[in-house]
Amino acid sequence: MTYEPQLLGFLCNWCSYAGADLAGVSRIQYAPNLRVIRVMCSGRVDPVFILEAFLKGVDGVLVLGCHLGDCHYISGNYEAVIKMELLDKILGFSGFSERLRLDWVSASEGNRFAQVVNEFTEKVRNLGPSPIKDKNQKAEITDELKAIKSALSDIRLRALVARKRSITTEGNVYEEIVPEEEYNKLLEQAINDEYLRHKILVKIKNKGKSVPEISKEINVKPNKVLEHIVYLKSRGLVDFDIINDIIPTFISIQED
Amino acid sequence: MEENLKSVLIIGGGIAGIQASLDLAERGFKVELVEKESCIGGRMAQLDKTFPTNDCSICILAPKLAECNRHPNITLHTLSEVKNITGEAGNFTVKMLQKARYVIEDVCKGCGDCEVICPIRGLPNRFDTNLNSHGAIYIPFPSSIPLVYLIDDKKCLYLNYGICGLCVKACGAGAIDFSQKDEEIEFNVGSIIIATGFDVFDATLIPCLGYGRINNVVTGLEFERLICASGPLGGHLVRPSDKKEPKKIAFINCVGSRDINYNPYCSSCCCMYTTKEAMVAYEHDNEINSTIFYIDLRAPGKDFQKYIKRGNREYNINYVKAKVAKIIEDKKKNPIVIYENTKTFEIEREAFDLVILAASMIPKKDAEELSKALGIELDHYNFFKGDTYHPQVSSKEGIFLCGACREPMDIPTSVLDASSAAARATEILSER
Amino acid sequence: MEDIRIGVFICHCGTNIGGILDITSITEYTKTLPNVIYAADNIYTCSELGLSEIRGKIKEHNLNRVVVASCSPRTHENLFRETCHEAGLNPYLFEMVNIRDQDSWVHMKEPEKGTEKAKDLIHMGISKAALLKPLEKIKVEVTPSAAIIGGGIAGMTAALNLAKQGFQTTIIEKESQLGGNLRLLNKLYPIEVDASKLLEIIDIIERNKNIHVITSAVPIKVEGFVGNFEISVKEREQISKIKTGIIIVATGAKPLIPKGLFRYNGKSIITQLDLEPLLKENKLVAQNIVMIQCVGARNEERPYCSNICCMTALKNAMIIKKLNPNSNLVILYRDIQVHGTTYEDYYRKARENGIIFIKYSSDKPPLVKDSIIEVYNELRNQEINIPYDLVVLSTPLIAHEDSTTLAKLLKIPQQDNNFFLEAHVKLRPSDFATDGIFICGSAHWPADVRESISQAYAAASRASRILSKDTLEVEGSTAEVDIEICIKCKICTRMCPFSAIYKNKEGKIEVNQVLCKACGVCGASCPTGAITILHFTDEQILSEIASCGGEF
Repeated sequence: MTYEPQLLGFLCNWCSYAGADLAGVSRIQYAPNLRVIRVMCSGRVDPVFILEAFLKGVDGVLVLGCHLGDCHYISGNYEAVIKMELLDKILGFSGFSERLRLDWVSASEGNRFAQVVNEFTEKVRNLGPSPIKDKNQKAEITDELKAIKSALSDIRLRALVARKRSITTEGNVYEEIVPEEEYNKLLEQAINDEYLRHKILVKIKNKGKSVPEISKEINVKPNKVLEHIVYLKSRGLVDFDIINDIIPTFISIQED
Repeated sequence: MEENLKSVLIIGGGIAGIQASLDLAERGFKVELVEKESCIGGRMAQLDKTFPTNDCSICILAPKLAECNRHPNITLHTLSEVKNITGEAGNFTVKMLQKARYVIEDVCKGCGDCEVICPIRGLPNRFDTNLNSHGAIYIPFPSSIPLVYLIDDKKCLYLNYGICGLCVKACGAGAIDFSQKDEEIEFNVGSIIIATGFDVFDATLIPCLGYGRINNVVTGLEFERLICASGPLGGHLVRPSDKKEPKKIAFINCVGSRDINYNPYCSSCCCMYTTKEAMVAYEHDNEINSTIFYIDLRAPGKDFQKYIKRGNREYNINYVKAKVAKIIEDKKKNPIVIYENTKTFEIEREAFDLVILAASMIPKKDAEELSKALGIELDHYNFFKGDTYHPQVSSKEGIFLCGACREPMDIPTSVLDASSAAARATEILSER
Repeated sequence: MEDIRIGVFICHCGTNIGGILDITSITEYTKTLPNVIYAADNIYTCSELGLSEIRGKIKEHNLNRVVVASCSPRTHENLFRETCHEAGLNPYLFEMVNIRDQDSWVHMKEPEKGTEKAKDLIHMGISKAALLKPLEKIKVEVTPSAAIIGGGIAGMTAALNLAKQGFQTTIIEKESQLGGNLRLLNKLYPIEVDASKLLEIIDIIERNKNIHVITSAVPIKVEGFVGNFEISVKEREQISKIKTGIIIVATGAKPLIPKGLFRYNGKSIITQLDLEPLLKENKLVAQNIVMIQCVGARNEERPYCSNICCMTALKNAMIIKKLNPNSNLVILYRDIQVHGTTYEDYYRKARENGIIFIKYSSDKPPLVKDSIIEVYNELRNQEINIPYDLVVLSTPLIAHEDSTTLAKLLKIPQQDNNFFLEAHVKLRPSDFATDGIFICGSAHWPADVRESISQAYAAASRASRILSKDTLEVEGSTAEVDIEICIKCKICTRMCPFSAIYKNKEGKIEVNQVLCKACGVCGASCPTGAITILHFTDEQILSEIASCGGEF
C-alpha cells in the first residue's frame, strides 16, 4: 500500500495563509496532505514545535512566510530564517532535515502556494514515511528526536540563535560587530556540542551509565563523552549514580 | 445638520482615496467613498510589484481594502458616480448615481457558482487590460473587494432579451436581482476629496512606435498583468505573438510624455517602474537581458538611486540614453527598435523579443465632466488644478485633491498626498 | 478546572463546501471529539439565520467556546467574534477552521481526502479552542496634545493644522527663532515667490492660542509611549517636562558644504545656499555663471539624489537671467531630476530662456581651473572649456549631526546617510514603526517647501487619528512575560521592531500591550521560555500539532 505523506504547515497570516486562500478562491487544485496551523508571523515558529511534529509522526513540515523584506512585522521572517538554519543543521544528525522546508509565498501567489505544496508532498512521498513509524527504528529515532528537542529547548542554543542578528549587525556588549562567518562557526560548534550533550542526557535518563558505555552507545570517543559529562555536571543536569569499583556511572537529573 | 457636516465625500477608491478614507474614518468622521468600478483598489491592484521595495502590490493593498470595507465609519458606494454638487464648504449637497449591479451586495457570497454557468463568454476584462475575458456575470479579479459579482447590462441575455436566467437558478444564496435599477442618491457632506487617479496614454497615437500593430509591443500596465502571478499568464512570462519566453526586452520611457506633440509634462514614475519591471522579469528568468531607453534617468525619491544602481549591476539592465524614433517588426514578429546612439551619433537598429512602452499617465477621460459637476478648475493639461504651495487645495473651498488626478505621481507620494488632503478636510470639518 | 463546553458549527456555504465534502460524516466525527457539547451543520453560517443560531446555541447549551468550520478567518473572524460577544461570550473564545478556501475549493477532485482533511482541521481547531483564554481589548488614555520637534516650514505647518483641530501643540525649536532653512532663502520655485511670504506663518503661529513655542531648546529625554509621552526639554539651562500624546519629528536637514570639492572657496566658487543672499540683496556682479549639479551627491559616500538641487539651480538661473538678461548661464548636469507637470514646464521655460545645459558623466567630472571649467560634453563627445566669473555648486541636503542623538532618544531607526527610517516606505511614509511618532520634511528625505508642507499635513493627519480619541483601544492578544522565569538577557528588547518589550524602572522586562503587535517572534526566541504569546500560546500550538491527524 502506498503511503500518503502526512504534512504539517505553519502559515503566516499576512502572506502565505493569504496566498493559500487565493489558491482556493482561484480553485487551484493541489495535494490534500497538508494540515495547516495559522500563526501571525513565520518568526513565531519555535524550533521545538517542529520536533514535536516529527515526534508525533508527521512526515514533513512546511514553514511558509512572507518574502524577505515584506514581513508584516518588519523582521520576523529574518528570525525564521535563522531558526530554520539551526534546525537544518541539527536535524541533519538524524536525517530529518530534508523533511523540513522553509519557503516564501506572498498573498498574491496562489499558484506558487499550490506548487510548493505539490512539490513538497512529492518530495516527502519519495523520502518514504518517517522512520519513527518503523517498529524497528522507533525507539532509536525517538531518542534522537528527543535529544534534539532537548537541545533546542536549552538556553544555550536558543540564546545564540536569537542573538545572531543583533550581534552581527549592531554588535555585542563590547560594541564589537562579529562578522557573520565567525558567528556561524561559533554556532556550528555549539550545535555539535549541544546535540551530543543532549543525546547523552537522553541515554542516561532513566538508567545510570558509565562513560565507556555511553561512548559505545552513541559512537563518540570516551574522552569527548567525559568532556560533555563534566559540562553537564557543572550545569546541574547530571550527577553520579553509582560508583562501580573505580568506574562511576552518571544519570540525568534534568527536569522535564 | 450637525451630523452631516462631520462627513466627507471621497471620489475614487484607489490607493489615494483609500488612504484618505482610512485616515478620516479613524479620525472619527463619516466617509462616503464613491467608486466608479465595481470594486476598490484602482491602479495599484493591477500592478504586480511596486518600487522601491519590489513587494507584491495586492499583498500590501489588500489589508487596506479589507479595512475600508469593514470600517464602521466608511460607507462604500461602488458602481457609483458623482453627478452634481451644490452648496459650499461645510455643507455640500451631493447627487450620486448608483448603477444597478443586479446582484444583492449583502447576500452574494462571492462563491462563483453563477460565473461557471453563464453562457456568455469572451467579454474583455478591463482589469486585465483586455488580455483576458469574462462572462456576463463576473468579478474583475478573484480578491475584489467587495467580493460581489456584477452583471454587464449590455451583454446579459436576460436583461436584453428576457431569456436565460441560469445564474438565478445556480445561485444558492438567491443574490441575483434583475429588478434592480440605477438609483439617484443624495446626501450632504462637509468636505470633498477628489482621488480619481489617471488613465494611460493611448500609444496608438504614436503610430511609428507600432503599438496596436506590432503584437510584441505592449504598454507598461499590460506588462504588469502579463508578469503578475494572478494575471492571465499566471506569472509565466511569454510574449503575445508566439507564446515564446522573451530573452531580450526593451523598455521605452517617455512615450507620450516629455513630448510637445502629445504631453509636454513628465510622467514621474516611468524611469522607476521600467527598472522595476525589468528586475521582475529577471527574477522570473535570469537569462533575460533588458535595455531601458531614457531621456533623463529620474530617480530622486527615497532610496530610488540605490534601486537604479541595483538594477544596473545585478539584474542585467542596460540604460541607453536615446529617444527611440521608430519600431518595426521582422518576419519572426521580433520588434526592431530604431534609435540614435548618443555616444557614436550612429543610427542603430536593434531587434528585441518584446518591447514595453512606458505610456504616460494622463488625466482621466471624465475629468472635465467631473470638474464641471464640482465647479473646480483644471490646469492646462486637464489635471485637477491645485494651489502652488498647497497642491491638495483645489480652486473651490472645501474641495481637495490627492493622487495622480492632480499630477502624475508614484504610490508613496500618493499616500502622503492622501493623508495631506485628509488633514485639510479635517480643518474644514473641525471648524464648524 | 474549567468545564470546557465547545459548540461547533459546520458550514455548507451553499454547495461550496456541502457539494464537495461529506458534511454529515464530518459532523458525526466532530461530535465524538473531546469537550464538544454541540455540533451541527448549517447552510450559510455567516447569514443572519446562521448567526442567530450561534447566539441561540451559546445560551441554550451554555457554551463557553465556539468553533466555526467554514471559510477564512481572514475575512470572517471579526464577524463571528462579534456574534459571540453579542451572546455574552468573550470574543477571544472563538476559533475558526478553514474548510473552504483551503479545503473544499482546492480538493474538488479528491472529496474523500478533503473530508479527512476537514476532520483533522476541525480536531486541531477544537484542541486549540479548549485552551483559549478570555482576553480584553487594551484601553489606554490619550493626552490630547502634540509635540513637534523642529520649527521650520514642516514643523510649523503641522503645528498649525493640529492647533486648528483644537489640540494643544508645542514646537520645540533648536535655534533662537522659528523658520528653519526658509530664513536663508531668497525666492522659491516654481513661481519665484519671496521666501519671506511663506514665513508669514510665523505670525499666525505666534498668535494661535493652541500653539506654544519653545526656542533655543532641545529634547533631552523621552519616556512613555503612544498617547502618553513625557518629554524633558532643555531650554538654555532650564529643564521642563511636557506631557504629550504624539510626537512629530520635523528637524529638517542642511546643505552640504563641499569642502575640497571643485575648489570650493566661498567667494568665486560657492554653493546655491551662498548664492541666495547675493540674489536677495542684488549683490551679484558675475556675468558668466556655471552651475555644477550633483556635487558631493550620487557618489560612493552619498549615493542618493537630493531631489531639490535641479529645481534650485533652475530657479536661481532663471532669476539671474531676469536680473541680467545678458548673463551667460550654463548648467552642468548628470540627469535633470525634475518631474511632474509644473516642474517639467519650468525646465522647458529655462531652456527656452537661453540657459545652456551640458551633460557630464560621473566618471569624467568637470575640472574647475582658474578662469575656465573643462568639461567633457557627453552628448557631443567633445571637451569644452567654459569661461566663468562664478561657479555655483549644487550640493545635497544631508542629515544634521545630532540626528543620531535624536534617534536614540526616540528609539527610532535611521538608514544610510542618517535620514530617519519610516515604518513602510510606501504605505506608511509618515509613521515610524513605533506608534505615536511621525515624520515630515527633509529629516525624512530631502524635500522642497511644497513637499515639506504636504508631508507636514500628512503627518498631522496621521497624528490626529490618535489625538482625536479619548482612549486608544488595541487587540488584547499580546505577549506576556513571566518574570519568575525571565533571566533579563534582553534578547527580546533588542529584537522587537516596535519597542514594545523593554526593561522597566524596576529592572524587570515588561510588555507594553499598546505597542505590542503580537507577532510572537519574542516568544519563539526567549531562551528560557518566559514569554507567552496570548492567543497563540505554545500550549495551543502544541495541541494543534498533537491533533493534526494520522495516529501511528
